[in-house]
Amino acid sequence: MPTGHKASVENMELTTTVAVDEANSVARVALAGALNTDTAPDFELRMQDVLKGGYQLTVLDMKDLDYISSAGLRVIFKAAKQAKAAGLRMAAANRKPHIDKVFEILKALPDMAVFANEKELDDYLDAMQKRAR
Amino acid sequence: MPRNGSITTRLIALLTLCAAVIIGIGMLVDYRLSRNEILERLQRESRDTVRSVVIDMENWLEGVEGATLLLSRIVQQREYSEAGLKQMLRDAVEVNADIFGASIALAPGQAGTDLGFAPYYFRRDGKLAYASLAGADHNYQEEAWFTDAVAAGQPLWVEPYFDEAGGKVLMTTFAVPVYRQDAMGKRFLYAVVTADVALAELHNYLQRLGLGASGFGILLSRNGIFLSTRDPANIMQHYSRAAAAAPDQATWQEMFNAALEGQVITRQVACIDVPGNCVIRLGSLASTGWPVGVVYSEHELTSPLREFQLKTGVTGLLTLLLMALAVIVVSRRLTRPLGALALATRRIAQGDLEAPLPKAQGSDEVAGLIDSFAAMKQDLKSYIADLEAAAARRSRLEGELGAAREIQMAMLPQGGEASELQDAYSLWARVLPARSVGGDLYYYHRSDRMLVVAVGDVSDKGVPAALFMARAISLIQQLAASTIDPAAAMASLNTALETGNENCMFVTLFLGVLDLDSLELRFSSAGHTTPSLARNAAVTPVAQQQGPALGLAPGLAFPCNSLQLQAGDRLAIFTDGIDEAFNDQDQMFGVDRFNEALLNSLARPGSIAGAEIFDVLARFAGGTPQSDDISLLLLDIANGKTASTRMRSDFTRGPGLTGRVQAWLNQVLAPLALPGQVLGDLMLVTEEIVSNIDKYAGLAAQASIALAVEVDARQLVIEVRDEGTEFNPLVQARRAHLGSATEEASIGGLGVHLITSLTERQSYRREQGCNILRVTKLLGNQPV
Repeated sequence: MPTGHKASVENMELTTTVAVDEANSVARVALAGALNTDTAPDFELRMQDVLKGGYQLTVLDMKDLDYISSAGLRVIFKAAKQAKAAGLRMAAANRKPHIDKVFEILKALPDMAVFANEKELDDYLDAMQKRAR
Repeated sequence: MPRNGSITTRLIALLTLCAAVIIGIGMLVDYRLSRNEILERLQRESRDTVRSVVIDMENWLEGVEGATLLLSRIVQQREYSEAGLKQMLRDAVEVNADIFGASIALAPGQAGTDLGFAPYYFRRDGKLAYASLAGADHNYQEEAWFTDAVAAGQPLWVEPYFDEAGGKVLMTTFAVPVYRQDAMGKRFLYAVVTADVALAELHNYLQRLGLGASGFGILLSRNGIFLSTRDPANIMQHYSRAAAAAPDQATWQEMFNAALEGQVITRQVACIDVPGNCVIRLGSLASTGWPVGVVYSEHELTSPLREFQLKTGVTGLLTLLLMALAVIVVSRRLTRPLGALALATRRIAQGDLEAPLPKAQGSDEVAGLIDSFAAMKQDLKSYIADLEAAAARRSRLEGELGAAREIQMAMLPQGGEASELQDAYSLWARVLPARSVGGDLYYYHRSDRMLVVAVGDVSDKGVPAALFMARAISLIQQLAASTIDPAAAMASLNTALETGNENCMFVTLFLGVLDLDSLELRFSSAGHTTPSLARNAAVTPVAQQQGPALGLAPGLAFPCNSLQLQAGDRLAIFTDGIDEAFNDQDQMFGVDRFNEALLNSLARPGSIAGAEIFDVLARFAGGTPQSDDISLLLLDIANGKTASTRMRSDFTRGPGLTGRVQAWLNQVLAPLALPGQVLGDLMLVTEEIVSNIDKYAGLAAQASIALAVEVDARQLVIEVRDEGTEFNPLVQARRAHLGSATEEASIGGLGVHLITSLTERQSYRREQGCNILRVTKLLGNQPV
């Protein structure tokens, strides 16, 4: 059993970085650390800000997300609902296996686009740009 | 409107059909009879009419013949002057009103002149007129009536002809040749005496044969000339030339010939003067041999019959209509209460017992039915009231039993299902009562290096057993604190339980004291099921000397047994509810099956193994209801590898709670070097439990949540305690429906799914005002 995740569990903070591609109306929210009961409220505020931007697509980049609990999922559910109601899309990318496992257990958001890696995400973005043109 | 299939509809249909059939048959019979009668009457009438007309005509013609013959006799026998003959002729015509005209035509050579002598008297405009048939331009001796009579040599009726010389009418003539004898005695023709009959007269006679509007009489001459028929254009025509008769030539021919031979014949032919088929009845006159008959349209004659049919039909229909109306009225009257009753019944069925029933009128079956329904409604009301009262009583009783069960379970360590990990041993126990409450018990108590364990089974089950069990476990608790000698403790228990035990309840009990240093188990059995010992992958019954059950007799002694346990041993103490469980084929579970299940689950920690054995038992029993309380206690002796530790810490509520909890967890679990995945799961489960309590337990701001971790080589247990409101998250927590699309997805209700998915076993109990949730995570690669 790999023990590589062990060190990362010890990081109890969450860093959220938002990068916006105004031209394509894509917001990329990168999460690093742990999305748990303690860090979820701040993340929720951050997501609300991003959603206010009204971007066609919001990508949750979980490349550096080590941990997620139901409190964090709750925020994602809520944001996904709001986005869908506003006719916007939300996608997840780069989920680590144990993050994937949590999503799978909860059969969370079966209709949300999920990109296993950067390439899939890039392909999707390219396709989106082509459609836009 | 009556509905399809309603009684009214069916009555109308049925009765109307029956009536229609009856009336129809009646009408048919009546019609048949009447038809024959009418037809017979018509035939009789036509026959009678024809006969009377024929007789009249015969009389008339015979009268004419008679007068003519008399005149001819006189002319034959007496000599007259021409003036005398004239006078006699005049008198004869005048006297015989039936004769149109008459003549005495002298034979050639008998008259005074070459022209001959033929005076002729006839009727014109009601007076007698005179004409002489002998004239320069007219030789009467060549007329048919003269030559025919002479040729025949006897009286005859001459074929009809138009009289140019005399009356200038259509007539027929009766001609009588008169012969005299000369002096030599030689016979010679003296004269031809004739009497004429105007065809118009004949015609008048015949038209009396009025048979219906289109019926009429016909008269033909012997040569087939129409003397009388309806259409004047056909008079003096041969029957074969009468236009309408053409298609029936053969029939006419046949009839005519038959009539000439004196037969009476009846045939159907196309009508001559009117459209359609006619019946012709033809006979002949005796005097002249002329065919005479009637023609009538049967259709017209039978019109009374058809009128009669029509009247009968209309009457029948009216009768049916009236009857259907009567049926509607009557059946409506009968079924109206039924409809109302059906409506009321529907309301009653929907629970409206106050629905009014229709008023019963009279004492018929419907009224009886309504009365029965009223009685049923009343009975139903009181029955439902009884039922409600019974249900209320039962739910009160169930509530009480539920409370009693909780109280009883609270008497057992850890509330009916216990799991304890200690350095030297681990222990798991569960009681499963057959009813709400039961008589099985387990108990354990550790004081320093001594562990007391007990498993007992009170006779009977249900409430009495539960009360006796409460007494027993209280006494065991009291004794256990100071017990070192199980046999002495057993004797004391027996004395205490026997006191005032009028109902002769009894307990079988296993009571053991384990020295945690020497691992010697000293135990005493009061008639209890023999425990099983699993050691070195084999299960054997524990050798023991048994004493009697507790509570039946005073002053009993109990043998004391000793069993040397070893590291890695698993001792299973159970009640007979396990080995005496039955399946639906009346097979008993038995000790062998139990031992097998024990052996099969040996690799798993006690808590998992125990639950597994219960599962095996439940599968064996299938649908058969549990008949007895079931208890099992598994005692594992730790070996070097399975030494367990317990760590515990309190966490005050407030900011960063999850962070603090997880930091502590990281710290205490670090030495175990757990796989990252397992550690992650434990972190997640702990956060879910703690944050759930933090949010919903209603704790004071400064209250704390207690966390304990028990771990041995095989499993890791996290125990979370809080003093919040009583809440079993495993049962009561909201669980989100999983797999919904974004729109329907529930925000929240996810935590409990994660807890149950990521740990192998979860248990909740309420103890001394605390919620205690224990979750077990198996370690290593053991199959579960």
